[in-house]
Amino acid sequence: MASRARVAALLAGVLGSALLFASTWPLDAMVPRGQLGPGFWPRLVLIGLALACLLKLREERRAGSGDAAAPAALPRVSAVRLALGMACILAYVIAAPRLGFALATAAFIVAFMVVAGARGAPGIAATALLGTVILLYAFIKLVYLPFPKGDGPFERATLALYRALGIF
Amino acid sequence: MIESVLGLGVGFQHALQPLNLGMIALGLVIGILAGALPGITMLNSIVLVLPFTYLMGIVPALLLMIGVYCGGVFGGSITGILFNIPGDPMNVPTTWEGYQLSQQGRTQYALGLAIMSSAVGGLASALFLAFFAPPFARFALTLSSVEFFSVVVFGLAGVSVLNQSSLPAALISLFAGMFLGTVGTEAQYGVERFVFGVPFLTTGVDFVTVLIGLFAIGEVLEQIVTAQPGVTSARGQGRTVPRLPLLDLWPLRWPLARGTLVGIAVGGLAGAGATVSSFVSYGLEKQFSKTPELFGRGHAGALVASESSVNGSTGGAMIHLLTLGIPGSAATAVMMGAFLIHGIQPGPLLFTKQPEQVYTLFAGMILANILMVAFGFLAAIFFATLMRVPAPILNTLIVVFCFIGAFALRNDMADVWLTMLFGVLGFFMRRHDLPIPPLVMGVILGPMAEQYFLTSMVAHGNDLSVFVTRPVSAVILGLALLLVLAPSLRRLRRGAV
Repeated sequence: MASRARVAALLAGVLGSALLFASTWPLDAMVPRGQLGPGFWPRLVLIGLALACLLKLREERRAGSGDAAAPAALPRVSAVRLALGMACILAYVIAAPRLGFALATAAFIVAFMVVAGARGAPGIAATALLGTVILLYAFIKLVYLPFPKGDGPFERATLALYRALGIF
Repeated sequence: MIESVLGLGVGFQHALQPLNLGMIALGLVIGILAGALPGITMLNSIVLVLPFTYLMGIVPALLLMIGVYCGGVFGGSITGILFNIPGDPMNVPTTWEGYQLSQQGRTQYALGLAIMSSAVGGLASALFLAFFAPPFARFALTLSSVEFFSVVVFGLAGVSVLNQSSLPAALISLFAGMFLGTVGTEAQYGVERFVFGVPFLTTGVDFVTVLIGLFAIGEVLEQIVTAQPGVTSARGQGRTVPRLPLLDLWPLRWPLARGTLVGIAVGGLAGAGATVSSFVSYGLEKQFSKTPELFGRGHAGALVASESSVNGSTGGAMIHLLTLGIPGSAATAVMMGAFLIHGIQPGPLLFTKQPEQVYTLFAGMILANILMVAFGFLAAIFFATLMRVPAPILNTLIVVFCFIGAFALRNDMADVWLTMLFGVLGFFMRRHDLPIPPLVMGVILGPMAEQYFLTSMVAHGNDLSVFVTRPVSAVILGLALLLVLAPSLRRLRRGAV
């Protein structure tokens, strides 16, 4: 992050802590006088957070003036892969309740493997198919996890799949 | 003492019967596998096996649970060392050092150290339980929330150990984690804090979602965006099949001994348990280490100390249950359920009324920790073979397992959302030099600190001096202060020389 953006983020941290601090006072409304209320501990924590942000700001200023060492450089990232990877994860979480866990997982495995650099359609398809079936057996048949089954036609498809696999 | 030796002899006779030994082995397998899967905690696995114990006798039932308990607290270290994904919060300090060792191509060394130190810590703890349980329980009863608060503060003070590049950055991370720990319904007054009208936040942010997201998803994102063409995985470096480093352990005997002692002592405090003991022993180890600057970069002593303290806490946690009938942790609370289901009331009378069963349990714990070397070794080989799986497949399956682990917490998609959000946060924290471990410490230890602090204040009329007037608390807080000031003191000493 550029130094200016870092300073802005830290100032936002101080401001955010102050706003949250202010929001803690109503929490103690029902507390008898002389008692520590539910707002006390968060206030302590938020003071600590604001002070830590201020300390970091001071460190950044020193770094800017060349007094401190710059952090070690990390490997360069592929912004396209990052965006696609996050989009896949986001789509998986959104799709799972609608498509059902089974269909969403199979689709996610295919998409994420491609984003992660896998090549070769048969391998990807086999991983998606086998992986999903094994997970369904392990976590629905054995551990009884009530994964989302999906809405409408997808629910019917999920139930048909479970019956075909002998899970239900 | 003689009574204990004779009792243990009888206990071994029972525990070595094929059915009972088989139950210990089965429990170890279940515990290690469940502990290694992110989101499926050791506690989950104990709860899962509880219904299967209804049809068993009390001894096989308890030995099965002991096996799950001992295996479960260790299992998460394997995935922590191999994939930077701790299976349980208690395995977090092991992950910090073990994964770094793994990245240096010393995976087999790290895995071997973790297996051996877990076994030694657990074995010492079981022997302590067998010989000193009643007097230790009497002493532990004199401690209160004041001392528990001080122990948690010591754990939090360990953040000074973790500041590899910037202490203010570590503090931001720690306080942010502690703030996350305050979200949800407050226990004392039932007031909702920082919920902002979002229903699922009323039950708080489960620290497992933070743990899985920051470590596992963040790591996967880091792996896929930095992957070079032709390089399969950054994880698959070095030989991965563990070796048993009996000779390597000898130079680390003092961290091993300190970790074990901390584990027994902290495990013996009701409510503290393995997670607190692993953080405390990690922090304490830096005090004693001759190479504190290597912490967080693959420090074998720190790994051994935290790992031995995790298994060392198992015996301590059992002391309260067996001698007083008070479960000292969530895991022992479930075990208490198993006792009661079989019509046995744990407590002081247990030792006089059913000594055979008590000593069989002790013998079972000893055997479980010995057998854990073999089972831990086999499990490590199994998980290590996963490192040969091509990175795109492995990374994809890790995300799916994180989904499952997060969903399994409360069967709620909200936890999955939180996990994925923390995953993205973890990626950006790595990129912007904000350390992740202090945030995890804050989320785990923050709520404990609040609970013990407020309980102490209620019990002592808001008198803050109670933390320094009670001797045990004062000593622990003094050590915590020393831990924080140690780097400055070292610099001063170097300057004076």
